[in-house]
Amino acid sequence: MLEWLYKDMLTFFPEGVSTYSQQLDNMFAAIYWFSVIIFFLTYTLLFAFLIKYRYNPNRKAYHFHGSNLLEFTWTLLPSLVFVGIGLWSEDMWTATKSEWRVPKPDVQVEVMAYQFGWNVRYPGPDGVFGMKDRSQMDASNPFGIDKYDPAGYDDYVTMNQLHFPINKNVVVNLSTMDVIHSFFLPNFRVKQDALPGQWIKVWFNGFKAGKYELACAELCGGGHYGMRGEVFMQSQQDYNKWLDEQYSAIKANLAANPPVIPERKAAEEPKKEAHH
Amino acid sequence: MDTATVSLHDSAHIHDDAHSHDHHHELSFIQKYIFSTDHKVIAKQFLFTSLFFLMVGGFMAMLIRWQLAYPGQAIPLIGQFLPDTWVAAGAIQPNFYAQLLSMHGSIMIFLVIIPLAVGAFGNHCIPLMIGTDDMALPKLNMYSFWLVPPAGMIFCAGFMVEGGAAAAGWTSYPTLAPLAGSGQTLWLVGLFLVGFSSIMGAVNYITTILNKRAKGMHMFRMPLTVWALFITAILITLGTPVLASAIAMQFMDQFLHTSFFMPDNLVHAKRALYSGGGQPILWQHLFWFYSHPAVYIMILPTMGIVSDVISTFSRKPIFGYKAMIFAIMGIAFLGFIVWGHHMFQSGMNPLLGTTFMLSTIVIAVPSAIKIFNWLGTLWRGNIKFAAAHLNALAFVATFVIGGLSGVFMASAPVDIYIHDTYFIVAHIHYVLFGGSLFGIFAGIYYWFPKMFGKMLNESWGRKHFYWSFICFNLTFYPMHILGVGGHMRRVYDPYVYDFLKHFQPMNQFITFAAFALGAAQLILLFNIFWSLKFGKKAPRNPWRANSLEWAAPPKPGHGNFDTDITVYRGPYEYSHPDRQLDYWPQWEAPETVEGSTETTSKASSHNHH
Repeated sequence: MLEWLYKDMLTFFPEGVSTYSQQLDNMFAAIYWFSVIIFFLTYTLLFAFLIKYRYNPNRKAYHFHGSNLLEFTWTLLPSLVFVGIGLWSEDMWTATKSEWRVPKPDVQVEVMAYQFGWNVRYPGPDGVFGMKDRSQMDASNPFGIDKYDPAGYDDYVTMNQLHFPINKNVVVNLSTMDVIHSFFLPNFRVKQDALPGQWIKVWFNGFKAGKYELACAELCGGGHYGMRGEVFMQSQQDYNKWLDEQYSAIKANLAANPPVIPERKAAEEPKKEAHH
Repeated sequence: MDTATVSLHDSAHIHDDAHSHDHHHELSFIQKYIFSTDHKVIAKQFLFTSLFFLMVGGFMAMLIRWQLAYPGQAIPLIGQFLPDTWVAAGAIQPNFYAQLLSMHGSIMIFLVIIPLAVGAFGNHCIPLMIGTDDMALPKLNMYSFWLVPPAGMIFCAGFMVEGGAAAAGWTSYPTLAPLAGSGQTLWLVGLFLVGFSSIMGAVNYITTILNKRAKGMHMFRMPLTVWALFITAILITLGTPVLASAIAMQFMDQFLHTSFFMPDNLVHAKRALYSGGGQPILWQHLFWFYSHPAVYIMILPTMGIVSDVISTFSRKPIFGYKAMIFAIMGIAFLGFIVWGHHMFQSGMNPLLGTTFMLSTIVIAVPSAIKIFNWLGTLWRGNIKFAAAHLNALAFVATFVIGGLSGVFMASAPVDIYIHDTYFIVAHIHYVLFGGSLFGIFAGIYYWFPKMFGKMLNESWGRKHFYWSFICFNLTFYPMHILGVGGHMRRVYDPYVYDFLKHFQPMNQFITFAAFALGAAQLILLFNIFWSLKFGKKAPRNPWRANSLEWAAPPKPGHGNFDTDITVYRGPYEYSHPDRQLDYWPQWEAPETVEGSTETTSKASSHNHH
């Protein structure tokens, strides 16, 4: 509990397991060491001045109002450093968050947050997500899967767990049913607020197999603390195996109980959900 | 105890025609102490009301810290007495925890720091430091204070209603907040009232500073406390109305079921009430458009105070007076174009994230300039370690850390990780407690003699300082570590997560440091109340300072000054080489200076640029 007194801050990061985590940690480290330098510089001057210039009735302070040259210097130099940090950050930012830079997904899932958990949807054996209709969304149909779309009947919906292959581009299409939540994967350095009424793409590429945690990072009510999920990163082989297991169960179920797909009446055209 | 005698008032009355006529008769107790229009009484009303709420908000923080150290365990001593809606078998419940953290933030910001920095010090310092008898609009001033106690009671009444107090954070994001119960409604009403208190005060300050300065008090001869309060008042006037509008919209969403912030098809018990079509992010833009300038409203007055205190106790002019003013203006202006940095991860267009990132990273520059100028003031000074000065130095020290932690957040990609973690909580408390509150402590120790005619006990003042400063750092520094470790904010039980389990000892350490920090404040409270009764009588100018308030008698009466006031120089003429004394008050006429050739105000104004 006192390690922080002697260990540098960077050692407290949880293990980074995504291509992005390395970049973010480097950016953080750069700002950190810059801060350490400034900290020691200012504190050294502060304590030196407090000691050296402590009150002496036989001495008079130096009556000096300031120096425009100094003002100019210590305005310009920090500005250059800060603008540099800003420009370096810019590329990293758009690479992670901008929609046009989301890579072509190797695996795509949808996550629908709610009070208090994470619904997860895989496209199912047909590889196609069923169309969504928010007006059909409720507790038993968290994604609002359109009952008129046959492609939706084989979708695999689960809760609080995600499985992905390593070294592949994963895209999570994120939304929420009720209030704002935030999809936080500490080990991947991923965080994105989920907005009701909107779908937001989150992408990452994990390089280390293992089990990692998912947390909610936006106060969403009394159960906010309990929104824990698990992310399983697996080799492509193990992932395929897992997926086959789930999909076989779905196929067997559909074979045993073939769904009756209703006919859409003309008046019931759903509000088509734009895929963001 | 009260020195507002008729004779003092009469002499001050002669040269001020703006004086209102109802002061000719002896004022009743209610007019003098309750519904007073005297800025000094109003300042004290703000001071004591805010100190009360500081204890309330601080107590809530202690409860939050208990839960984080020992989740689900009964609160010692008092847990058994708390209501069933708050605790189960003495242990805090998740909904009550959410109320505690929401109300802690709201109370500290709206009922403590803003009323203290702006209400108490604005009221006390402005008329005295510019050499006038009262604010331009004394009645408005009285209304501005009297909105605060009812607003505070309405806020806290939330704890008594079904569903409890506001529990969506002080940030109150839809859709969570509008879907909540009456506690949230009370929060909205209370905040609306407090906002008007701010706006009224701000309008008064701007009018007073522009119109009521004494003869010779040019704008660039005003102390930095007044400059800071002036710019702060402009921030309040421009920003708070936007908050008021946002609150009105959320109130309508909650109470009238409009859909400003409520989108279609929410899966919620209240779904049928709303027509939908609204945008939750709209609230965030409106809220943060005010709340980011709000943080500068909270820090700028204390920056002004710190400048004056450091200069006085270094016996040296403030380094770069004009640069300091431009830095304040820079912070204020830039403060209006950075609000989106609170929303980097909100789902707003990442392109906006880029623009806000660039403006945010630039705002570090004027703050850095101020740090360097304070160091420059200390350099080659003749430094006295009075309690007021220690607190001002603590401001500088903690603001360095608070400001540097802000640089991490300014980088939008880094913010992806640290947003909504304890890294942010650490930053907030370094700038608001380490910064604003220590700055306010400096102001209290500095101006107590003027406000109350008594000296605060210096020895207890130093004890309060050291204990607070050490415990403050022990409490909030480790929170940076928690944040780097991924520890989220506002979580009732972090140890549900494997990756946070190892932080429990650190949370416990922070809790004990926080308890000690809270206990330390009792020294200040005790010092204040003991000194009011038994403190040494204060001389007129105990710190041998230059600004105009020290020309007034200790605990000035109605009208403030007992002599005519003319200003001959700036406020920072300490240790002037031509003078034997190491200070040169603004109001002292030039003829009294030995060996000086300065006789005109033009020559003396040349001196300090």
